[in-house]
Amino acid sequence: MFDPKTKVLVVDDMLTMRKIVTKILRELGFTDITEAQDGNEAWARVQLGHIGLIISDWNMPNCTGLELLKKVRADQNLSKTPFLLVTAEAEQGQVSEAIKSGVDQYVVKPFSKEGLKAKLELTHKKILARKSA
Amino acid sequence: MSTGIESGYAIEKFDGYVVVKLNKKIETLSVKDLDAQISAASSQKFVIVDCDSVGIIPREWLRTLLRVHLNAKKESKFLKLISVSSSLLSYLKKEGLDTTFRFAKDLKEAMNETGLLPKRTLDTDFINPFLAATINTLKVQAQIKTEAGQVYVKKPQEFIQGDISGVIGIVSDSFNGSVVITFPEKVFLKIISNMLGEEYTKIDNDIVDGAGELTNMIFGQAKVTLNEKGYGIKTAIPSVVTGKDHTLSGLTKGPIVIVPFTTEFGPFFVEICLSN
Repeated sequence: MFDPKTKVLVVDDMLTMRKIVTKILRELGFTDITEAQDGNEAWARVQLGHIGLIISDWNMPNCTGLELLKKVRADQNLSKTPFLLVTAEAEQGQVSEAIKSGVDQYVVKPFSKEGLKAKLELTHKKILARKSA
Repeated sequence: MSTGIESGYAIEKFDGYVVVKLNKKIETLSVKDLDAQISAASSQKFVIVDCDSVGIIPREWLRTLLRVHLNAKKESKFLKLISVSSSLLSYLKKEGLDTTFRFAKDLKEAMNETGLLPKRTLDTDFINPFLAATINTLKVQAQIKTEAGQVYVKKPQEFIQGDISGVIGIVSDSFNGSVVITFPEKVFLKIISNMLGEEYTKIDNDIVDGAGELTNMIFGQAKVTLNEKGYGIKTAIPSVVTGKDHTLSGLTKGPIVIVPFTTEFGPFFVEICLSN
């Protein structure tokens, strides 16, 4: 599992959903959590550095989660940042697009603490495998 | 399969028709396999060619499309060009093809004219995914058990009263509609308190968008199920209405069904409206 000191960026235009994700992360032991309201604000935060994990909603005004993912993956310094997309609409086409764009995992709403934890563990395993490859 | 951006076109198969999406590469690429690919995908089907991304269609490509069109006609079907720009239309006129091909403004119009748009009704096929999604969302996200009551058609002068509502539009190529979820304050506060793990006693800015998020989750799950059945519902962003004992009306013209839900904390209502 991720080091609980990992700086996590939670991105969602809905305050309630940011609170839900943050609450679950705290229950899982994470202590350094920061929030952004859309992809643009998140991109500004990410560029400041030190973000070790991004959990972003997909469907947001201004800059969507997918657009944010593409920006992160296109940046040489940030491209390896673990990235989870959260969506209420996991249709096949969407999922394929997210995978093609380099998402590590996608989380389908509604989700439980156990559901998010499982996705984080899968992401962490993937990151470890990427490092050792 | 040579479809995709590199070949200048992509083919998508649907019930009764195929959509051939041309891209700008056709202006530099020579046509390869297009008629074979369309024939393989379109037996007994209408062919809709989306020209949205192209400024011209080179002669070689036009000849191929013409061949496809004539073959389709033999089966009493035809090829229809959609999203044709005025410059492309002038070009086709110059080539003498403006009366050969059929045109439509967009996919919706093309499907309408070819009788491909299925009539959608507020039947169990449409309503049940919303019921299942509502029950699942409250169970997973708020650990609240809820049961759907008897579904009924809303009467002309009937208004559902509530203190907070999540509203989302249903948009597809063949129909429009809306979903409204209306909660009394007490029920909403209990749901949100469970979702966020802390007790809320009034609806304020901290939690008001929770109604939108619940609506979004319910809509999202129902959308996946319905789109697997070919409904073609598009992504939408919810909004929230608040106000003590408010009522909502006239969001969409069309019949409305009401699904009353019960929880141990009180009832709430889901209204589903659909118009073709």
